[in-house]
Amino acid sequence: MRILQNVSRMADNFGYRLDLSVFQLSIIMTITDRDDSTKRLTLIKKTKQLLINYTFVSNLSALSWDTHDKHLTYEEVKKRFHEIISEKRTSRWIILILVSFANAAFCGLFNGDIYAIELVFVATLVGYFVRQEMMLKHINHFVVYTTSSFVASLVAGMGYIFHWGNTPEIALASGVLYHTPGVQLINSVLDIIEGHILTGIARLVNASSLMICTAIGLFTAMLLLGLDKL
Amino acid sequence: MTIDGILAAITAIGFAISSNPSRKAILVSALLAALGHGFRFVMIKNGVDISISTFVVASFIGLLSILFARMIHCPAEVFAFPSLLPMIPGLFAYRTILSLIKFMQSADKLKNQEFFMDFFHNGMTTLFILLALVVGVSLPVLLFPKISFSVTRRY
Repeated sequence: MRILQNVSRMADNFGYRLDLSVFQLSIIMTITDRDDSTKRLTLIKKTKQLLINYTFVSNLSALSWDTHDKHLTYEEVKKRFHEIISEKRTSRWIILILVSFANAAFCGLFNGDIYAIELVFVATLVGYFVRQEMMLKHINHFVVYTTSSFVASLVAGMGYIFHWGNTPEIALASGVLYHTPGVQLINSVLDIIEGHILTGIARLVNASSLMICTAIGLFTAMLLLGLDKL
Repeated sequence: MTIDGILAAITAIGFAISSNPSRKAILVSALLAALGHGFRFVMIKNGVDISISTFVVASFIGLLSILFARMIHCPAEVFAFPSLLPMIPGLFAYRTILSLIKFMQSADKLKNQEFFMDFFHNGMTTLFILLALVVGVSLPVLLFPKISFSVTRRY
């Protein structure tokens, strides 16, 4: 795991040994002085739920190598850490537009015709906006996913109601695919391969519950539109 | 194949940006996704099984991403994972869950058999594609751990 390597590397620079275990909601970490094993400190801390942020990952990894190679002092490391952490994310409106285009292209990959693609674009636009708004209000993730996929599939189901194009079923199915927690799924399998089985299973359960919530939202919308007998 | 690649690139950009990587990484992952998905499309057209072709393409992406990681000093995962996202079997996963729900609702025995077959077929496809993706992409990282964990080192 990258986390373990990076943190140990930084601790090594200041002359400490470090043991770390990561759980879904908390981390347990012990640092021991390399010369004097009676000097040690253990910490259990709750973790905050953060969104996936690869800029953090790559910058923090670079910081750990810099600490190791340039022998930065504690103050410098702390300053650079706060600089990295306070960096702003991409604007939510850009994300909204790009995700909509992405999902529309995804529909194209499944051989949806042009009507289906347009429908999916609008559905994703509305659904993702709902999701962003609800995320900002810190509503429970499962509720957010269900509601957002419900709204998106209500829009995507219009293809059936008004008989637009020849592939309305592809529009309906791929209208909610922007919810697929792809990175979490890959991470969970990777954790299991590397032997962090507990963390991997926790992530897997989390990702699959989110997918089940999405499917429930989709199915509720289908019931409401009278499409459940397909 | 070209259209397939372009669509995959758009998908990769959109799904990558919601995990907030740097600009360069987004471009690289779009390129890798286009290459990967295009090749997979050709392989499936030529009659190769979907999970095997996914495995081949994923390990190809993994190798290339280590190469790019050394070039732009960025961990390989940052653009290897988003470029796999267009290949995540989302449609199969939703079909799995939907057929499970239909199975629960229906009382007709003959139809239930059909739903159960659907559930199993789609579920297995999802599982195998997912495993192929992850094992494929992490094979190069597991083979060359020294290189892949020191790419952000500048000296």
